Amino acid sequence: MSGPNGAGAFRTIRFRLNGRPVEMAVRAFETLADVLRRTGQVGSVRESCGQGLCGTCTVLVDGLAISSCLYLAALADGAEIQTVEGLASGEKLHPLQQAFVDCGAFQCGFCTPGMILTGLQLLRENPDPDEEEIRRYLSGNLCRCGAYPEIVRAIRQAARNGREEAGT
Amino acid sequence: MATLTQVGQQVGQVGRSVPRLESRAKVSGSAEYVYHVAVPGMLHGKIVRSSVAHGRIRRLDTSGARAQPGVYAVITGQDVLRVMPDPHYGPAFHDQPVLALDKVRFVGDPVAVVLAEDPHVAEEAAALVEVEYEELPAVFDELEAARPGAPLVHEVIRPATTFADLKHLAGRSGTNVAMEYHLRRGDVEEAFARADYVFEDVFRTQQTAHLPLEPFVCLAHPEGPDRLVIYTATQSPSFVRSEVARLLGWPENRVRVRTAFLGGGFGAKLYIKLEALAAACCLLAGRPVKITLSMEEQFLTITRHPTTFRIRSGVTRDGRIVARACEVWWNGGAYADISPRVTQKSGFTASGPYDIENVRIDSYVVYTNRPPTGALRGFGIPQLVWAYESHTDIIAHRLGMDPVEFRRINLLSNGQPHATGTPLTDTATREVLEALAKAMEWDKPLERGSGRYRRGRGIAIGLKACVAPTTSCATVVLYGDGSVAVLAGTVDMGQGSDTALAQIAAETLGLQAEQVRVVHPDTDVTPYDMATLGSRSLFHMGNAVKQAAEQVRDQLLAIAARALEADAEQLVVRDGAVWAPGGQSLSFKELMVHRFGMQAGTLVGTGTYLPPYAKPDPETGQSEEITPFWMVGGCGAEVEVDTYTGRVRVLRLVNAADVGRAINPAIVRTQLNGASLMQLGMTLMEEMVLEQGQVVNASLAAYKIPGFGDVPPVVEAVLVEMPHRHGPFGAKGVGETGTFAVSAAVANAIYDAVGVRIRELPITPERLLAALRRSGGAGSQEGEEG
Amino acid sequence: MSDFELCEPGSLEEALALLDPQDPSVRVVGGGTALVLMMKQRVFHPTRLVSLRRLAGQLRGIMRGERGLQVGAMTTLRELEQSALVARTAPVLSRALPRLANVRVRNQATLGGHLAHGDPHMDLPPILLAMGARVQATSPRGSRWVPLEELYLGYYETSLARDEVVTWVEIPELPADTRGAYVKFCYLSAEDWPAVGVAVFFRLEGGQFSQVRLAVGACTERPVRISRAETLLNGERPSPAVLEAAAQAAAGEVQPVSDLLGSAEYKREMVRVHVREALEQALVGGGR
Repeated sequence: MSGPNGAGAFRTIRFRLNGRPVEMAVRAFETLADVLRRTGQVGSVRESCGQGLCGTCTVLVDGLAISSCLYLAALADGAEIQTVEGLASGEKLHPLQQAFVDCGAFQCGFCTPGMILTGLQLLRENPDPDEEEIRRYLSGNLCRCGAYPEIVRAIRQAARNGREEAGT
Repeated sequence: MATLTQVGQQVGQVGRSVPRLESRAKVSGSAEYVYHVAVPGMLHGKIVRSSVAHGRIRRLDTSGARAQPGVYAVITGQDVLRVMPDPHYGPAFHDQPVLALDKVRFVGDPVAVVLAEDPHVAEEAAALVEVEYEELPAVFDELEAARPGAPLVHEVIRPATTFADLKHLAGRSGTNVAMEYHLRRGDVEEAFARADYVFEDVFRTQQTAHLPLEPFVCLAHPEGPDRLVIYTATQSPSFVRSEVARLLGWPENRVRVRTAFLGGGFGAKLYIKLEALAAACCLLAGRPVKITLSMEEQFLTITRHPTTFRIRSGVTRDGRIVARACEVWWNGGAYADISPRVTQKSGFTASGPYDIENVRIDSYVVYTNRPPTGALRGFGIPQLVWAYESHTDIIAHRLGMDPVEFRRINLLSNGQPHATGTPLTDTATREVLEALAKAMEWDKPLERGSGRYRRGRGIAIGLKACVAPTTSCATVVLYGDGSVAVLAGTVDMGQGSDTALAQIAAETLGLQAEQVRVVHPDTDVTPYDMATLGSRSLFHMGNAVKQAAEQVRDQLLAIAARALEADAEQLVVRDGAVWAPGGQSLSFKELMVHRFGMQAGTLVGTGTYLPPYAKPDPETGQSEEITPFWMVGGCGAEVEVDTYTGRVRVLRLVNAADVGRAINPAIVRTQLNGASLMQLGMTLMEEMVLEQGQVVNASLAAYKIPGFGDVPPVVEAVLVEMPHRHGPFGAKGVGETGTFAVSAAVANAIYDAVGVRIRELPITPERLLAALRRSGGAGSQEGEEG
Repeated sequence: MSDFELCEPGSLEEALALLDPQDPSVRVVGGGTALVLMMKQRVFHPTRLVSLRRLAGQLRGIMRGERGLQVGAMTTLRELEQSALVARTAPVLSRALPRLANVRVRNQATLGGHLAHGDPHMDLPPILLAMGARVQATSPRGSRWVPLEELYLGYYETSLARDEVVTWVEIPELPADTRGAYVKFCYLSAEDWPAVGVAVFFRLEGGQFSQVRLAVGACTERPVRISRAETLLNGERPSPAVLEAAAQAAAGEVQPVSDLLGSAEYKREMVRVHVREALEQALVGGGR
């Protein structure tokens, strides 16, 4: 079983990706980032640091943000997986996506999907986070372009819009 | 004579904060990066790297790797020779082999590549390639490497002669000094003798890494029997085409280079990085080859120069700097990459934005056995400003003068000649300083605290010359339905060039920026551009796009003049139509139908921009036209020093910059602030740590870059607009400006807070605490440590 | 990563049977964040990983028992962070969790894995060590309770046998009037692992320190109780001089490791600064 046996033993896993069923053959050593990339459906999942530190490979597994580069794909069997590709309703962007656009909360955009998904989990748990809470919550997501102030602003704006919508 | 304008004064496409054109794609995961590109039959390459800092390859055994199931081939330097007879590349010197041939020159130097369909197989097999080295003495420090008798990293240095500005480079042997630059103005020694005081300091900077979150990635695949397509995350597609063609001995029209959005670049993804290697592997294997580097490998590919800067200033009692001597040593690492340009183009600004009659600059780049160094957001300027603005503050304090006032006395004004002899044309040096002082409320007292936490503030200001001479070409096309595309070789790596170029074309053609399509670089389609670097694109490509759009506009006006029986000079473009003075109009589509009899045809406009340039005198470094435009960046920092731990918290960071004319003010602000945060990381935390040449912290776990928790509570940009007479709508480049002055501003603020002077980056807590202890604790104004 | 066998047993007995007391390449995996990282860095090549994912129903949850909190080893750090029961009975733990690693790690990592990994840079070991927590280690031979003091032997080294699995964690409920604090010092980036972590708990009886529990982590090869400082404080009235003496005693007792987060000498000084800071924080109102 050991050694550089790339062929490896395959097992079939089934999960839902943005609401659609997916069935894939995966190997024990493959990470969720590896296999999501193979689906060709989610350009938003990007491995960068490979150590769970930068957040560019963030996906939601059963509603919780995880680093897909540190998550064994086989353990996603049966899970509900969400990425930014599944957030918009038709032409209408999710309010958090829209807030990122409105606030110019990205430059190169490579980290953006991870920022949005982590922000999404935050807003689900806390619809009115202050600046400090946002910074703390997103502390594991890195942006080398340094769009941090705009990202905080975008999440604040999405929270405000969300509350206004809820209030009306 | 240009004057200051107010930000956002004009209403139109220029000065409008258009959301990036690709916004929707970037928030929904559909933005295209080379990272995702895949083609059928593709092999993945994994690089085997040198484990020694300097050595000769005695034995290279690939049999173990080749025997692994799933391994397609293992490529070595000897194999590369079959497709590239002389496989040495580089923008300044042809010193870097595609794969090591006889010698390795740093820990991480590529030695072989394992190709497999499964990247996991390639990675596992790479560990089975056996290499034996005869180790040679290695050298890592720039000063030691320059001494006679130091181990030679390269026995012979061969110039590349590719770029016009580097044509003067000469071959050398018997030294690690790859290139030197000298500036002579006035009589420095005589002025030192006359000066009331002479101050001398030595400052050092560390090796740092760019670390775009999208690591280097390149895919080469054959297109037919005699063509090669290279998809690559590069900032310089035109250079990649010509250099790969040169290596293969092919005409350029057989190599097609394509890019997409870059997940960050910062100067890392310039010139040749993986492209020649991927091309060679692809041709040898006869199959597409993709090479994707890991985060760790980014540290081994290109980095920022460590420097040693000895600076000496002669000053009069009333605060005039009368002489300055600068000796700058750039640690070039194992391969020169673009170091010679940094040595010259940044070197000649080493005396700062000051009006000094007598200046001497000596700037040297030295080979060592470190990972190669090149351009990193600022092109060497942040290292220089760190030194000369710390030094300037030291002088001000010694003279008992306010640091802002001392700079006021000495700063160059708009129009005055710089130390090189080139005038500061339309350059807002004083205006930036005053804007900074105002934003920092410099005239109001600051509460500095008295206990464990001490506060202080500091400012710094730096000057950069945009690289010259360089060319940008652009094509603007108008299709049969009246829609418009810009074909430009500028790479959007996050700086917002697609949006800015669309705004320039839209402004010229009477359209909304959102209606303009910007086609990403594809050397089969987009015309030549020198590269996306050094904050040059908006100025150069902006001018080329503007010219090209004007040509299209003039063709539209000519068609409309015939159709409307009007004088073309009285017609204007607005809202996608041409309007006559009487109010009649024809849409662009109607004009095309009028011209071609149906919705058909293409109007093409082309633009080329090559600003004037005068080569500096080889002896004195003097030139009347050394740069197309000067960039001015100032930074103000308020810090809080924890005197128990030495930890510095930046409470406020103000970035003031001469932006010429902000084409897109929101993006300009993000650029300035983002650049300042990157430089803040390199000021306080980032440092590649080497042990026997091996980078021991080559990961984001051990090499920390700024995260949310490291961002100052207040980060603000102050845009100073002094339109440049040759800039498109007055614009200047700003991609790097936010980096210039951050390190010195922070160091100056620390001095203001606790009275100790740090002379080596990064300013780590341990380094600062040690300096505090040596100085006798916080509050001591005598402390000059570090 | 190279190939290996991934097992997902449905019962603890089955899981234990899959472990091999002789073979270090067979390991249990909880959330997997730490192990997968080691595998990707090629420092660990498993032949078999035994995932406890399907045991989550049995080994997950936070309950209040007679001796304190009983936490299932498969409880995620995030569940611990969000538990009202933890917030009420162990607020120092609750306050430390939001600043532990990042939210993705906390979503995925389990308490059992966090403690069994033996990584000295973690935040919870010094806190739980000071609180007097213990883990239940289960093997085919049965279960035993291991106090944290006996769990950590050295750098990534624990006293768990290769076929032992952490199944439960017991966190004593300290008396209601206990004061406590956890202070961590991050060296370069605010988002880094701690360079020094200090946990302290004590009561004030008649204005005097009693039952002082002080532990230091991150800067040492394993988290350690600082008995000399504890002894020094017990029975004393809080004063700057007393706090400083304790802080200096702690700094003198620890054996810090030099690394990229500072020299041993610097870390020793940081232990002094942060022991004092932890004591001060706890005195001004940090609940247990």
